[in-house]
Amino acid sequence: MKNPFEAFHNIGVRRREIPLDTILKSKEETLARILRGYEDLLRNEAKDLVWLMQYSTVIKAYGMAEKRIEELEYTAEDIEEFCYALDRSDQIPYLITGPAGVYISALCNYAPEEEITLNLRDVNVKINLLGYRLPPNKKLVVNGNLGDFSGIGLDGGELIVEGSCKNYTGAGMKRGLLTVRHNLGFNTGHGMTGGEIHVGGRIKGLGKIVGGKIFEGDQLIFPNEGVKPYYF
Amino acid sequence: MEVKKTIENIWPKVRKKHLFPQIPVPEVVEGEEAVALEIKSKQLRISKAFCEKLTHTMKNEDIVEAILDHGISHYMYCPWDFHTYLTLYNEAKKVVKKKDLAQRATSSFVDVVSDTYCVRDKETKIPELYKNIRTTGLNEVLTSLYERIWGFDMGRGRGDERISRLSRIPYLERKRWRESVKKFTTIIQDILEEDLEDEQQENQRGQNPMGEHSLSDYSLEEIDQGLREFAGSVQDLQQFKETLEDLKEELEEQGYASGGMGRGTGNPIDADLLYYMKIAESYTLPIRSLPIEKTGDLYPYSHAPWEVGKPVSHIDVWTSFGKIMPGISQLWKRKEGETYGELEGTPDCLIVIDSSGSMVNPRERLSHAVLGAACACNAYLKNGARVAVYNFSDAFRDNKVIMDFNYEKERAYRSICKYFGGGTALDLDDILYLLVRADNPDIFIITDMQITNLETLIGFFNQIQNRVTAVHLGHNVHSSRFKEGTNKRSNISVFNVKNKVDIPKIVLGQINEYLLSSPTRH
Repeated sequence: MKNPFEAFHNIGVRRREIPLDTILKSKEETLARILRGYEDLLRNEAKDLVWLMQYSTVIKAYGMAEKRIEELEYTAEDIEEFCYALDRSDQIPYLITGPAGVYISALCNYAPEEEITLNLRDVNVKINLLGYRLPPNKKLVVNGNLGDFSGIGLDGGELIVEGSCKNYTGAGMKRGLLTVRHNLGFNTGHGMTGGEIHVGGRIKGLGKIVGGKIFEGDQLIFPNEGVKPYYF
Repeated sequence: MEVKKTIENIWPKVRKKHLFPQIPVPEVVEGEEAVALEIKSKQLRISKAFCEKLTHTMKNEDIVEAILDHGISHYMYCPWDFHTYLTLYNEAKKVVKKKDLAQRATSSFVDVVSDTYCVRDKETKIPELYKNIRTTGLNEVLTSLYERIWGFDMGRGRGDERISRLSRIPYLERKRWRESVKKFTTIIQDILEEDLEDEQQENQRGQNPMGEHSLSDYSLEEIDQGLREFAGSVQDLQQFKETLEDLKEELEEQGYASGGMGRGTGNPIDADLLYYMKIAESYTLPIRSLPIEKTGDLYPYSHAPWEVGKPVSHIDVWTSFGKIMPGISQLWKRKEGETYGELEGTPDCLIVIDSSGSMVNPRERLSHAVLGAACACNAYLKNGARVAVYNFSDAFRDNKVIMDFNYEKERAYRSICKYFGGGTALDLDDILYLLVRADNPDIFIITDMQITNLETLIGFFNQIQNRVTAVHLGHNVHSSRFKEGTNKRSNISVFNVKNKVDIPKIVLGQINEYLLSSPTRH
């Protein structure tokens, strides 16, 4: 009897490896290394799954994050992948937005590219503390909204947010430029000593500002006659 | 160049390579120089002009084979079916917001996926073909992408950040296509906009050299099936509506109307109606089999070996190898036939649906009441029964739809989907008018029971002998009163639904139980 599947016998699937396979494999490996660094940071910084946002804890967490990424080789696209991974529960054991933001900031600050663009419009979680200590000659463009404490301690870099940020944006900023296309929350620029914040939309409230300039649209709202610098 | 002959020569080889897809032999059309292929309902049409243009750079067989590989990969891998195409389009639209841009992004994405699949898994000349096609704008970017991800030198050598980002998308992971098409569209969004702007200035539409992917690729049956799956998979009615509105013209051009089985160019597509129609089609409601009686007629039932002495006339010649031999010849065993008893078939059904202000507007959100009624409507129509609809809010102010018994599904759906808002009062004269127009029809009523003249309705139901299935949404004093007022009647079943999301399932299950056995009380 004739085998009805005879014609299929000589058709082996000819699967050759194409560069796409290599690119994706390398991407997955890099992401795995970045994730391991983040988990280490969490193990040390948020042992009880609690992380108190204080000036000292941020500095400590950043120091640890710097160590975790010391030997990592990655690109701006890997940082974006990591942000998306934060959104997926199958890849992240638990998410604490504070350390996550500090870790992403460290990744951006040490990335080989001078200009980094992160497309975060589809990321559901609002990342806090992004842009922390962004150094001079670095430009970070974020497409999407951010959470609290964005651009804090900005240190000469340029942070552009094509969206809105929550409270304490630009807090403790020293120098550099922070541009937010839409709106900002309360305590904007709290403790900021230099640099400029430009907001396309509205600011809900300013913090206690020491120095620098804040613009709402074209209007300079700090310093001006109604809002004087604060001395701690 | 004899394209037709080339196709005839290489078609068996290409078919074998792609594991014998069920598509007709490709045709040759005069076509345009700029576009290689068009697909209409699985029929591949290769442009002769396009092939002739490339003859000085590639072998004829290679050109045709590459084009066929591309076309068949769409059929065999991506988008595979209309539902996948709609899903990808829907995701792309979320990024670019404009129909035209979303269509181009989707079309480009499915090209990248299917060509990459082909390059990795098959022996193909697709890379060579792309190398020899002159491209601009988005097509130029895609060729650079191919160069990067396939590892073929196509002479582009473009390695900007965009290509780097595009090359990190897992095109061959089907489960991640939704996420991937969004990333893909985000990355190419600015080029898509630039291309569109240029085309508007030049007043000439840019063309994909491998042909645009559109609705014409699918048959009406595939579109019907795709819409059904899409309606079940989208998050809400608005998404379905938006996508349908975008594709309305193309669907109508294809001759698709919302009437399902009764397709034709008659009625314009109503996205809301189609949504409920497609979701309701995913559910099936068996209707109770009615009592069976013996008919006295004998009919062939099973086979048994023929023995000497048994009538030769009862031998089944087809299974007896043409021989009359004990043990080999097969005899038909006959059995007495059965038929339905007094009530033959399924009774007609009067669907009463409340569309007052307290009910969800089915054209804004998914209305479980409408869906429940639609499922009931389907069940009766599928069993050959007729359906009448009485849709009401304040019936005495003429806020009502009365549709007489008929077999027209689309008409019934239109009546069910109608939304009035406002107060709630039934006019029993309307119901009586409809009831007398069929032979003892069933009644299916779906409401939240907040009816002004509820007592009158209870009194009416207590007087009639028709089977009544009453479904109410949520708990309230009115539903309790209805249950209390009708609990002595065995022909009335009241179904109490706590969670609105579960309405379609619970209604279907309970109706099933009701129709298959004696009515239960809840």
